[in-house]
Amino acid sequence: MNNFVTALLVGLWVTWAIIDEQTLQLQTTRPIITGPVVGLICGDLQTGLIVGATVELMFLATIFVGTAVPPDPTLSSAIATALAIYSGRGVDIAVATALPVALIGQVVTTLQYSVVNVAFLHLADRKAENGDTKGLVRTAWYPLIVNLIFYGLPTFLAVYYGAQYVTNIIDAIPEKIITGLAVGGGMIGSVGFALLLTTIKSKNLWPFFLVGLISATYLKINNIGIGLIAVMCVALYLEITKKRGAK
Amino acid sequence: MSRNERLNKSDLAKVYRRQFLIRAGLNFERQQCVGFTAALTPLIDKYYTDKEEKRQVMLRHMNLFLSQPMVASLPIGVALAMEERIALENDIDPEAVNSVKTALMGPLAALGDSLINGTLRPLVAGIAITMAQQNNILGPILFLIVMSFTTLFVRYIGIYKGYEKGVEVVEDIHKSGLIEKLTDIASIAAYVIVGGFIPGVVSMVLNISFTTGDNVLSIQEQLDGLMPGLLPVILTLVMYNLISKRKVSTIALMFGLMILGIVGVYLGIF
Repeated sequence: MNNFVTALLVGLWVTWAIIDEQTLQLQTTRPIITGPVVGLICGDLQTGLIVGATVELMFLATIFVGTAVPPDPTLSSAIATALAIYSGRGVDIAVATALPVALIGQVVTTLQYSVVNVAFLHLADRKAENGDTKGLVRTAWYPLIVNLIFYGLPTFLAVYYGAQYVTNIIDAIPEKIITGLAVGGGMIGSVGFALLLTTIKSKNLWPFFLVGLISATYLKINNIGIGLIAVMCVALYLEITKKRGAK
Repeated sequence: MSRNERLNKSDLAKVYRRQFLIRAGLNFERQQCVGFTAALTPLIDKYYTDKEEKRQVMLRHMNLFLSQPMVASLPIGVALAMEERIALENDIDPEAVNSVKTALMGPLAALGDSLINGTLRPLVAGIAITMAQQNNILGPILFLIVMSFTTLFVRYIGIYKGYEKGVEVVEDIHKSGLIEKLTDIASIAAYVIVGGFIPGVVSMVLNISFTTGDNVLSIQEQLDGLMPGLLPVILTLVMYNLISKRKVSTIALMFGLMILGIVGVYLGIF
């Protein structure tokens, strides 16, 4: 497949994923899905899988709390995957590009919610004033079409032009900076977890943090096992509180 | 004439499909109000033909509404039941619909954010990552299936239960201590997962060693002997402190860590 078609398909996938996030929420926006899909489009599923998993780790716990828009994981994992494949340098390049792109995505999203969608809101107000139900439903759809310009087009351009110049650009960057960015990328997962910790409501239950920690470190239990331990803790908690309530 | 009948199966199915628009027009002025009103349009079209009547119903739902998009289906279902009652019996104050929406959206948002976005998704993603790293494509597929089922099912329950129970939902939720219980469950699961995932997800490895005589003493090996993954945990707790106590923005922290990474590599620490 030539570059143009590939870039076009990646742009369309990103547009779809963002629309999914704003409607169905099947979570195709997440790097763990977008990475492999873009890998498949670019002809290297394996790199897509690894990049998807790595970028997912960076943004695993970074969630949309209230109205604070988080860094955008979709643009970021799509472009990072494409560049990792085209440069032939794999995960390091992906991690180095993921955060800057995610921040650009965050700016785009903020602009969308604070300016573009406010304009659509006022259009919807006029439809409501006229008692026009069909018009209102149509107006709810318009912001979805805008995603093509806000997310699809930039992705297309980044992948199309990025693919041609990425090797030159990356060769111009000192090796130590790329390594440093990869090291930093390994650490930024901590910000998401910290953010998640701040959202936990029942702080008195913190000993369960140690349950997870000890299982992973000393007992070397993997993520699947950690999930089962979480289920077990919740089940035990329900059973114990039920007994107490019955007394 | 259908105007005197209750909502039928196909009306409810239409509302179920339209509530997927809840987040479509998300904006920082009145958040999800366009999607909320759009979800109720099948009801408005069924009971009202007059423009003025339609206008009144639509305008009262154009007030600010913000919840987690999946659990927002419950207030939609409740509003549906109340609006149906207003259209058929007209024995509820229309303003009560807004009070009920407001009473539900906050607690539900907190619950949806912590149970779904903060616990279930990271958990399933963590499992999918482990599989993906072993080149297993089933990881992402599993993630997609579980999350798709969650969003479709939660919204189904929300619309249909909300409609069936109506205003009772508000009482039910506050009386039974359901919110408190679910909050505790979400907290326990989130703590286990955060504690359990940090050592594998966050990576911070020191590259410093000392030579004493013939022995090379690696700091990282010493730390691993104490507790594997100690540095990632400390790093996360420092970040937690900076976010909760010092109110540092997460973006500033992410940038800071990237710079720390570069500086660290130049200094030979990492």
